[in-house]
Amino acid sequence: MSGLVHRFGERVAVDHLDLEVKAGEIVGLVGRNGAGKTTTMRAVMGILRPLGGQISWHGRPLASADRLRCGYMPEERGLYPQMRVLDQVAYFGELHGLDRAAAKDSAHGWLDRLELAGREQDKVVALSHGNQQRVQLAVALVHGPELLVLDEPFAGLDPTAVDTLSEILRAEAARSTAVWFSSHQLDLVERLCHRIVILEEGRVLTSGTLEELRARLPQRLRVKVDGPTAWAVDVPGVRVLSEDAEGVLLELDAGADPQAALRAAQAAGPVEHFGFESGGLADVYRQLVSS
Amino acid sequence: MNRIPTTRLIVKREVAERLQSRFVWAMTALTTVFVVAIIVVPALVRAPAKPTVVGLVGPSAQALGPALRSTAAAARVDIRVLDIADSQAATSAVKDGSVGIALTVDARSAVAEVKQTLSATMRALLQATLDEAHQRQVLTSAGVSPSLVLQAQTPVPLATAARHPPPADQAARSIAAVAAGILLYLSLALYATAVANGVAQEKTSRTAEVLLAAVRPTQLLNGKVLGIGACGLGQLAIAVGAGLIANAAVQRAEIPSIIWVLLPAILLWFVLGFALYAFACAAAGAMVARQEEVQFVTLPISMPLVVGYVLMFPAIASPDAWWVRVLSFVPPFAPVFMPARLALGHMGAWEMPLAVVIMAASVYGTARLAARIYAGALVRGGARLSWRAALRLRGAE
Repeated sequence: MSGLVHRFGERVAVDHLDLEVKAGEIVGLVGRNGAGKTTTMRAVMGILRPLGGQISWHGRPLASADRLRCGYMPEERGLYPQMRVLDQVAYFGELHGLDRAAAKDSAHGWLDRLELAGREQDKVVALSHGNQQRVQLAVALVHGPELLVLDEPFAGLDPTAVDTLSEILRAEAARSTAVWFSSHQLDLVERLCHRIVILEEGRVLTSGTLEELRARLPQRLRVKVDGPTAWAVDVPGVRVLSEDAEGVLLELDAGADPQAALRAAQAAGPVEHFGFESGGLADVYRQLVSS
Repeated sequence: MNRIPTTRLIVKREVAERLQSRFVWAMTALTTVFVVAIIVVPALVRAPAKPTVVGLVGPSAQALGPALRSTAAAARVDIRVLDIADSQAATSAVKDGSVGIALTVDARSAVAEVKQTLSATMRALLQATLDEAHQRQVLTSAGVSPSLVLQAQTPVPLATAARHPPPADQAARSIAAVAAGILLYLSLALYATAVANGVAQEKTSRTAEVLLAAVRPTQLLNGKVLGIGACGLGQLAIAVGAGLIANAAVQRAEIPSIIWVLLPAILLWFVLGFALYAFACAAAGAMVARQEEVQFVTLPISMPLVVGYVLMFPAIASPDAWWVRVLSFVPPFAPVFMPARLALGHMGAWEMPLAVVIMAASVYGTARLAARIYAGALVRGGARLSWRAALRLRGAE
């Protein structure tokens, strides 16, 4: 999508947003509450009409028929509570263009895979919250979509279900499905995603692989010296972020020389540890958002 | 997937959901019992009239037999006359019910012995027969020739020239009008509310959001209205069909001649009325934040239906009143008023087609407006929307 714009009254929810998801790629959308993640996903799925911008599918404007090749799992789950599990999943399969027999077969397959075998004839309302979430996922997957749009799919799942869903998303990407999901569970995003997009106030703050995101941040050095601790203060281009039993954490300005820091440390005493520190996505996210 | 198969899938799901509902089956049974009862109960209560048995006690009374028979025939009163030997036998026959009236006549007076009361018709009939016999006896005694007496007593025929005669089956038509009105009111109220509830359920359970990722709002709206409407029409058809079978079973003579026009008219006005109310209710249902708010938001829509139902009774009593004619063209009232007026026969040939055209145009306008509100409000979170706020929303694609 390019230049996507949407407002709710005076509040700008999505502000000229550009984003691309390729076949076989898992893209994670992260950002604080109200950053525009859900609005962007709803605009792509046609649930709301954006005020501006263009959404494309294989290089041409996205048509409503193209959305039948997408699987969608909204943030607030939605199923017919009184409908039986198998009928419900098959119904959504049919709505996405499968014939009745194929929809039933596929529904059976996904319910087996999501460990809901034996619950096919239960009404959705009789299932636990976690199992309802699995049915919701089956609804998104039943028609073999080319693009999966999942809004907070891991929210409320137990660790086993998280593993099952992670495995499914990897498998879907392996069969060339474009997978796009939002999450506040940054460890999962880090573990699963090929690419991460950080939204802030309706705009793409930055995007790329975790390594690419890290490269956009100042380098950090962890140095432990058996001696006085004030040695780093005078090193040019270096700031002390913290100091504890593990040593001092330094942030290097662009162009600052790590060797100058090493030399200053050695001058202060025997160096017990000297290494670059590369935090996880959570650290990277915090730094990028706060900067 | 093109639009029609998608809408058909939605219709099928709506129908299947309702067929699984015990409430729907219970209402179908109740409606059917109501229609059958309207036909069967009056037929059972009003058993075919039996002729009144008049026992003539003694020779004086028995001499009146031929005159009594001819007077009764002229007055179209069904009687059977039999002779009774004496007053003791007469009293016994009256007590056991084998004779309705035992008539004893002497020179100066006559006595009609009955179990409880003597009907005004039978009193007039007996009195006329006695008077005629008395006059004949007096005139003949005075020397007037019997042929002249007969000529004098021949009644002068009185013909009726009614300028606006009511249909011969007026009573049955009134019953049909009331039944049609009640049936349409119940069906419209029940099924239009079902649309509002169904929409609200999809919105509050967030199912609408998943659905709208695959179908257009208009497909979802039309599928829901068609599916629920088909169930309502089916229920109405079952009730009407049961009514016809019941009518054939009791062989009721008073079946109004209009019935074969009225029945399709009931179905037509159900379809039109349901479409009008259902689209409006769908828009209202999409505006709620919680399921419990449905009754509140549909109140302005259901009020005209309730008012129409209440006014239907005075309207049937005076079908030619100006306000009845006017209201029967006003779309929210027409579905109840038009079939009732049709049943009563007080309607010009042009009135029904004109009302149908006005109604169809209203349905089209309502459906367009409802689709706009529905598309915007269905996926809008937060508090219940006002009509004005709902109209300003941008909808799903």
